[in-house]
Amino acid sequence: MTASDVEAARFARQLGLAAVGEAGLARIRGSSVHVVGAGPVAGPALLALVQAGVGILYLDDGADVGPFDARTWLCTPAQVGQPRVLAAMEALRAASSLTTVRLHATGTRSSAALVCAETQGTATLASERERTAGVAHVVALASDEGGAVISIPPGAPCIRCASRPGASTQPRGGMAAAIGNLGALELLLLIVGAGAGASEGRRVELRDGRLDATPTLRRPGCDCHVVY
Amino acid sequence: MARTLEDRTVLVIGAGSLGGPAALVLAGAGVGRLVLVDDALTNSADLSAQPALAEVDLGRPRAAALAAQLTRRFPAVVAEPVEAHFGGASAARLVAAADVVVDASSEPAVAFAANDAAVAAGKPFVHGGVLQLSAQVLSVLPGETGCLRCLFERPPAPEDLPAGLAAGLLGPLAGLAGALMGHEALHLLQGRPAAYAGRLLAYGARAGQGRLVPVRRRAGCEACGGAPAKEEASP
Repeated sequence: MTASDVEAARFARQLGLAAVGEAGLARIRGSSVHVVGAGPVAGPALLALVQAGVGILYLDDGADVGPFDARTWLCTPAQVGQPRVLAAMEALRAASSLTTVRLHATGTRSSAALVCAETQGTATLASERERTAGVAHVVALASDEGGAVISIPPGAPCIRCASRPGASTQPRGGMAAAIGNLGALELLLLIVGAGAGASEGRRVELRDGRLDATPTLRRPGCDCHVVY
Repeated sequence: MARTLEDRTVLVIGAGSLGGPAALVLAGAGVGRLVLVDDALTNSADLSAQPALAEVDLGRPRAAALAAQLTRRFPAVVAEPVEAHFGGASAARLVAAADVVVDASSEPAVAFAANDAAVAAGKPFVHGGVLQLSAQVLSVLPGETGCLRCLFERPPAPEDLPAGLAAGLLGPLAGLAGALMGHEALHLLQGRPAAYAGRLLAYGARAGQGRLVPVRRRAGCEACGGAPAKEEASP
């Protein structure tokens, strides 16, 4: 079996999608993605991106594995106390040898990013770093019974324009995984150029079981239209 | 004395792209016992859309591989693989032993068999499906809400469905639906309001638009139409 046969078998389901096809798969395979976070939102997203065949994944997380981090789907109880980013790397490499998984370092250049920071403030800082570097990215924020995922292609309204006021609460049950997967989904659509979020930016909100996208609009006075 | 999640059993039918995330959510929340029904072997395409599985699982029975991966992450969960096709004589027995039934089979005929068995046994039932860039989730409370057969009457003819891998799938859409199914099952186990009880979520990923379609009991439904109310059905 050649390398291309292995990839055709692995990614047969994506190749079967008109919105992806061979051209979309080539864009996914050629992408390098910086993921901020390795917690309960980022973990399922990281697995989805590795399984989708992203070319290079850069991991960026400063926490140690805690007693509840099996909920990241990446860590085991035996890894408690270890750097979470190393536990994540081990799990992702076991999931697929077709993606290169590396630690993110200052100066690393990626073609896209997914921000799964656990607070709005950290997410805003990370998102602004990506936007000012001209990197297409998605921000995923979970709350108790829902959350929001914001797509920010270059030139689209920024995270501050797209954010809504609200208390930050810990996601319950499967909400972190739902928002993480939604974040990975929006990022893949952005990479393959499918959906309105890929060109204009949008916010998909999950609330009380409802899932709906709205285009993001630039706030009056925001200077995020400035291209650096 | 109130039962905790540790005392509960969830039957998960299908250990693929929907069953994997649903089972991970349930195990992560502390559900005590998961019965995983699947008759497939792990193939290469599974590794593009089943977050619990790894390359080491290639060629292994998918139910057993999922069970092993769950207990590695969550040692307290009892994950019991059943390497069989859901249906026939064993269906009623498996459903009877569960507190909630989750259909993650991605096979319409199996989904209807699971719906019928759950409704007949009076067990809450969560159904999910993914096709190309669309996903759906529905919960059925027997005797209270409409069921899958109230909505669709019967499964589509096999010739009307795209075959196997040609149907196309993007892993994280299945991950989203599976996580919502697991979350919904948790609400049902805990007696909390369930978001999709009697209403079908239909989500189109490309447009990013979801619809909630009311699912009411249909007179004459072969599965639940003539059934007595839930209270009357209890012994």
